[in-house]
Amino acid sequence: MSSRDLPPILILATEACAYPGANSVGQAHLGYPDNTCIMRVPSPAMFPERFYLECFDRGVGGIIIMSCGVECPYEGAYEVLAKRIDRVYQLMKQRGLSADRLRLTAICTVCNRAFIKEVNQMARVVAELGPPGGERAAA
Amino acid sequence: MSGGGGQTDPAKVGVYICHCGGNISDHVDVRKVEDLAGSLPAVAVARRNSFMCSDPGQEMIVKDIAEGRVNRVVVASCAPALHETTFRGALARAGLNPYLYEHANIREQVSWVHHGPGATGKAARLVAAAVAKAALLEPLEPIRVEATAHATVVGAGPAGLKAALDLARRGIQVVLVEQSPFLGGNLARLDRLFPTGEKASEMVEDLARRALSHELIQVFTCAGIAAAGGYVGNFSLTVVRRPPQTQRDLELLAKARSSGLPPGFIPFAGYLPLEPPSAQEQIDLRTGAVILATGFEHYQPHAGQYGYGQLPQVVTLPELIQIMAGQEPGGPLTVNGRPVKSLALIHCVGSREIPGLHEPPGGRPLNEYCSRVCCTATLQAALEIKERFPETLIYDLHRDIRAYGRGHEDYYLEASRRGVLFLRFAAENPPQIRAQAGGHGEGLVIEMADTLLGGEELELETDLVVLAVGMRPGPAAGLAEMLKLSRGADGFLLEVHPKLRPVEPAVVGVYLAGACQAPMDVGEACAAASAATVKAGGLLSRGYVELAPFVARVDAQACTGCGACVEACLREGALELARPPAVAKALVNPALCLGCGACAAVCEPGAIAVAGWTLPQYEAMVRAMIAGEAGGEQA
Repeated sequence: MSSRDLPPILILATEACAYPGANSVGQAHLGYPDNTCIMRVPSPAMFPERFYLECFDRGVGGIIIMSCGVECPYEGAYEVLAKRIDRVYQLMKQRGLSADRLRLTAICTVCNRAFIKEVNQMARVVAELGPPGGERAAA
Repeated sequence: MSGGGGQTDPAKVGVYICHCGGNISDHVDVRKVEDLAGSLPAVAVARRNSFMCSDPGQEMIVKDIAEGRVNRVVVASCAPALHETTFRGALARAGLNPYLYEHANIREQVSWVHHGPGATGKAARLVAAAVAKAALLEPLEPIRVEATAHATVVGAGPAGLKAALDLARRGIQVVLVEQSPFLGGNLARLDRLFPTGEKASEMVEDLARRALSHELIQVFTCAGIAAAGGYVGNFSLTVVRRPPQTQRDLELLAKARSSGLPPGFIPFAGYLPLEPPSAQEQIDLRTGAVILATGFEHYQPHAGQYGYGQLPQVVTLPELIQIMAGQEPGGPLTVNGRPVKSLALIHCVGSREIPGLHEPPGGRPLNEYCSRVCCTATLQAALEIKERFPETLIYDLHRDIRAYGRGHEDYYLEASRRGVLFLRFAAENPPQIRAQAGGHGEGLVIEMADTLLGGEELELETDLVVLAVGMRPGPAAGLAEMLKLSRGADGFLLEVHPKLRPVEPAVVGVYLAGACQAPMDVGEACAAASAATVKAGGLLSRGYVELAPFVARVDAQACTGCGACVEACLREGALELARPPAVAKALVNPALCLGCGACAAVCEPGAIAVAGWTLPQYEAMVRAMIAGEAGGEQA
C-alpha cells in the first residue's frame, strides 16, 4: 500500500514500550500504511501543547501518542501526559481541528495487533479528513 | 519553531546506510536513499555497506571521522536496540563523543513492513529526520556520582537471602531488612521443592545460617523501611524495628521459646535468628543500592469460593502441604480429623481471572495472570499423596495444565502414570462444591462438566477439596511509592524491559529480586536475585556510578527562574531553584532526574531540556519529515 498522497502520520512511541512494540510489528512482517513516521521518545510528557499544534500547522495529518499507559516507567508521567492531551484537544477544537487527528493510546512491547489497529484507524482518519485544516473548509 | 543547537563546530553529518544482506536493500532502493541523503545540506558524506555492523562497515565510520570528514553520524539500519551501542562505540574508537550519533530504523520500521516505492520514500524521510536531529546533537558526558559500597536488601525470603549472600561475597556490606521475626519468607512454609525434591526447611536453614554468620551482612528482623530518599550510590533509608504484633507471630515466638530458640528453625515459620526487639528502634542507613525481594502472598480465597471457609473439608494447597508435613506415614491422610480416601485438586484459584466472568466480592482487581508455579506444585502434591498414602483417589480438576519448567513435565507424566484422574473444566463453568446429604458424614460432592469428555456432567464424591491458590504481590506498595517505582495493573513491580533491562526498575540503583516482580518459583526467584546482585555489584564495586547522560539540563542564560519546571518535576529533589543570594535558576540533580522531560514541556523560554532528546531536535525531525514527504512525492 503506497500512501504517498496522504498527509503524514506522526507516531510518538515510548522507548520502553511502544517503540520496541513497533519493532515487534516489524519482526512479525505485518504491513501498515507507509505515511507514518515513528519517533522514539523517553516520555511524551516532554512535549508542550504547542508542539502538537505546530505539527498540525506544518501539515502533519494525524498524531498517535503511543505511551506505556499505566506501565509507564516514569512514575506519574502518564497522568501528566493525559491531562496535557486533554488541553491539546481543547486547543484543537478552538482551531477547528478534528479531535480524531490526535490519539493517546498505550502500546506494549508485543502489542502487534493493537499497534496495527491504531495505525490503520488513524490512516483512515487522515484519508477522510485530508490535510489538517481541511475539516474547517468543509464545515 | 526555534532552531536550538548551540554546538561550536558546524555539523558535518555522515550517513551510513545498511543493506542488512538483503533485509533492507530488497525492499528499499538504498542507492536512492543514499543520493537523497547526500543532497541534504548538513550531510558531508553518504555511504552504503552490506552490513554496517561488520568490521568493514564500522571502519567506514571510523575512517571518515579520523580523516575529519564527519563530526556527526547517522546509521540507517536495524532497530537501535540491536546496534546503537555498537555504532556509538565506533564513534568513541575514532575519538568522537559517542553521543554525536543518531539512529534511523529502516529495517523493523521500513523494509520489514513496507514494500515498493513507499518503502524507499519512508526510509529517506527517516534518514532526513535523523540527519536533522544529528545536526543539533551536542557532546554529552556520562554523569558520575560517588557510590557507597553498601547495599540494602528488603525481604529475607530465598531471593533476599541469596542476594545478601551474593553481594557479601563480592565484598559489599549488606543490610538485610525483614518485616517478620523469621527468615525464609514463603519458602519456609513449603515442604519439598520441585523439581529436585529437596527439603525447603534445609534450604532456609542453610541460607539463613550463612547470612547470619557472614561478617558483612547485618540482619534486621521485625523491620521495615519507614522513609527513603537519595539516589543511586547514595540512598538514605530509615529502618524501623518494632516488637512483633500479629497473633501468628506471637504464637510462633511462644512456641519457639518453649523449644529453646532462638536461634533455630521453626517448621512453617522460618529461621528465628534472635529475640525480636522489645521496643521500637530506628536505624538510619546510607546505602548505595536497594534490592527489593518483597516476594508474594498466597491468594486467599473469599468466603464461599469453592466452599472455602464454609465447608471445613475445603482447604488451600499451602494448608494441605502443612497438614501433610505433620502426618505420620501409614494410615490414611487425615484432614480436620477425617480420613481422606479421595480428594480433588482444583487449579487456577485466584489466577487467570477473566473480566466479566469472575467478579470477586469487594471489587478487588482481578488476577488476570497465570501464577505459573501452582500447576507443578499441585502435581507435586498429588504425587506425594500417591507416595505416602497410595490408596487415595485423586482427581485433578484443571482449566489448563502448565508444567512449563525444566523437569516439571515429568511430574505431569508421573501423576498420569500413577493414576491421578485429570478432568478439565471451562472457565465459565467451574466445578460446584456442596456438602454430601446424608451418607456417612461431611463428605463433599463436586458437580462439573468435563470438557475432555465432551462436556459430560459428572458428580464426584470426595472427602477433601484442595484449592491451588495463585500468587499476589507481597507488601511492596508503600516501598514502591517511597522509591517511585512503577507497579503493573496487577500490583507486581515493573522492570524497564524484560529482555534488555531485566530486574531493573526505572529508578537507577534499585533492583528487583524474585516474586515481587511476577509469580515465579524458588529457582527463578534465586536466579533473579543473582541477576540483581550482579547488576548492583557491578554498580557499587567501582566506588562511583556512571549514569546515562539523558537527564534534564538547564540553559542558565535562558532560565528566568520562574519555577514552573520545579513544580512539574515528577521526582522529588531532582529539580530545585538556586537559593539566594544566588540568582534564582533551576538546578538539576542529575543523579535523581528520571529524564522524562515533564519539566521541558512547561518551560516557556525553552531553557530546560532532556539532553539528547530536546524539543528543538524533535521539531527539526518533524520539519525534515514533512520536507521529505514533499520530496518523496516528487520522486
